Amino acid sequence: MSVTAQGTAPRGRSTLTARIERLQDHCADTRSLFLALTDGRHLRFQPGQFISISIPLGDETRTRAYSIASSPEERGSFEICFNMIAGGRGVGWLFERKVGDSLELTGPFGTFSMERAPQVEIGLIAEGTAIAPIRPVLRRAIETGADAPIHLIYGADRDEHILYRADLDQAAKRATNFSHEIVIAPAEQLHERLREIANRRWIAADANRTRQFWICGVGPAVIKLRDLLRGAGYERRAVHYEQW
Amino acid sequence: MAKLRIQYENGEPERVIEFDPAKSPFHHDGKPGSILDVMLGHKLHLEHACGGNCACTTCHVIVKQGFNKLGEASEQEEDLLDKAPGLTPTSRLGCQAVITDPDAEIVIVVPRYTINQVSEAAEE
Repeated sequence: MSVTAQGTAPRGRSTLTARIERLQDHCADTRSLFLALTDGRHLRFQPGQFISISIPLGDETRTRAYSIASSPEERGSFEICFNMIAGGRGVGWLFERKVGDSLELTGPFGTFSMERAPQVEIGLIAEGTAIAPIRPVLRRAIETGADAPIHLIYGADRDEHILYRADLDQAAKRATNFSHEIVIAPAEQLHERLREIANRRWIAADANRTRQFWICGVGPAVIKLRDLLRGAGYERRAVHYEQW
Repeated sequence: MAKLRIQYENGEPERVIEFDPAKSPFHHDGKPGSILDVMLGHKLHLEHACGGNCACTTCHVIVKQGFNKLGEASEQEEDLLDKAPGLTPTSRLGCQAVITDPDAEIVIVVPRYTINQVSEAAEE
């Protein structure tokens, strides 16, 4: 194997530095960090986007993406949330960070975002920490959407992995067009349950295919949900998804 | 040995990597044997803001030669490419375009910009 090149390899874009202002443990294995740029500026992003954090592991630095769980309208710090993964060295490093530590990051990135809500009914689907990008998307949908229904199906393998429950309840009280349902099911059954509910609510219930969807989750379940909705007649570009 | 020739739209000098696809993965991000994997494994930088998980378009490359030698693009990759600036009929995401043919000669161009690059990410 060989590489032939001249000069220095091109590098990436400029890096931002953020300080950990606060941390919040949702439960034993799920944490939020609240970050503020050290130069005092406000991070500008679209709901649904993520940042990339440089994580030193051994003698190299890896890039790992974390969705922003707060809304652009919130001044000061912005929030990322994540859960411990068996063997996940990157997230392990992140769990070791303390208030006052600095992180190097780039971003924001990502096309799974909502600048303005479409003026049609909106379906949101998330599981566990994948609620992170959906949370600001929901807020934007409520603030900029028509009065068309917005419904969130949010699942987890156990109750403590349902995050921001109070926020969701509050949003449902404030916005009469928003409703949500929580699905708790064993991990091996959860994705099937999400598909069943999506099918019943948005496919079997009527012939309306004007809805738009934002789906975020982990693994192939997201692709199966995408295929379910597109296969039922929803436009390709009406089904937004992000798979981690 | 397969050959990957990398050209840069911003005028950086061309690089050429010769490698054995059977020895993939070369790194840990992107699909094993992908353009991203090959480049990172040979210490050449290619943006991959999402960690090579097919969740952004920062590793967008334009394939100038050998397009048909690459593994087929998934619907997920095509969905993302739809949002890449400067999209061409031979655009691919570096993290997803896998080189398996040991005789492949692939030429790519790394575009100057990506959709995810915000020129001024922070504001006062």
